[in-house]
Amino acid sequence: MEIDVKKEGQVVIIALTGRMDAVSAPQFDKTVDDFIDQGETQILIDFKSLEYISSAGLQSILALAKRLEPINGAVILSDLNGAVKEVFEISGFSSIFPIYDNLDAAKASV
Amino acid sequence: MSLLHIILPAKMDHLEEFIQPLSRWLQQHGLAAEKIPRVQLAVEEALVNIIRYAYEGQPGDIELRGGITDDQRFTIDILDSGVPFDVRSLAKPDIHCSVRDRKMGGLGVFLIQRMVDELLYRREGDKNVLTMFICGNNGRFSGSSQDMHAGA
Repeated sequence: MEIDVKKEGQVVIIALTGRMDAVSAPQFDKTVDDFIDQGETQILIDFKSLEYISSAGLQSILALAKRLEPINGAVILSDLNGAVKEVFEISGFSSIFPIYDNLDAAKASV
Repeated sequence: MSLLHIILPAKMDHLEEFIQPLSRWLQQHGLAAEKIPRVQLAVEEALVNIIRYAYEGQPGDIELRGGITDDQRFTIDILDSGVPFDVRSLAKPDIHCSVRDRKMGGLGVFLIQRMVDELLYRREGDKNVLTMFICGNNGRFSGSSQDMHAGA
C-alpha cells in the first residue's frame, strides 16, 4: 500500500493506494499516530485508489477514530469504491463515519 | 480437478505467498473477477486468525488446498494444527453502534461468513479444517458452461 500525505489548512489528507491488509495496516497506524502526536486532529482519508481492505484496515480506521474522539478530532472518508465500499457497508462502518463521494465534497465538509 | 496446494509457516510475512497464487488460480479457473477480492478477504481473515492465535506464540504451519467440485463450486480448505477453534462459534459483532462503543475485534470472522457461499469447520485429528465454498457461476450452484475451465 502507498500512503501519500499532504496538509491543506487544518486538514491532513491521506491518500491510500493498493491494498490495506494485515501486513500494510500497521504502516497506516504509524503514519496517523505520528500526525496526532504532532497535534493534528482533522484527518481526511482518500480511498479513491484503494482496491482492497480487510478487517485489519477497518480496525486501523476505527482505532484512529477512537483516538481522535476525546480530543474533538474527526475522521472523514472519501471516494470509496468497489470491494472497499462493499466491506464498509457489510461491516456497518458506512454508518459510523462521515463518507463523501469525492475529495472536494469531503474537504468542503471540514 | 486442478488443485492448488500451499504449505507455509504461520507468519504474517507469508500472507502474500498464499493470497497471490490463490488469486491467480481462481482467475485461471474462471472465477468472476468481482468475486476474487471477496475470496481474498475471506482467506486473509482466516489466515490472520491462525497466524495470531492458533499456535499461541509457537511455530506452526498453515496448509491451503484449492479444488473445484463437480457442480463447479470452488472449495478452499485451510488447515492448521493449533488449538481447536471453530470460527463459526464466535458471536456476530454489533455493527450498528457508535465509534465509542464499537468493539475492535470480531470483524474478521464476520467478514469470512459474509464473503463465501458456505463455510464448514471440522476437527480432523490434531488439525482445524475450515472449508469455504464459492459458487463459480454468478451465485448459481450448478453451472452449465464447461468453457469456464478453458484456462486449466
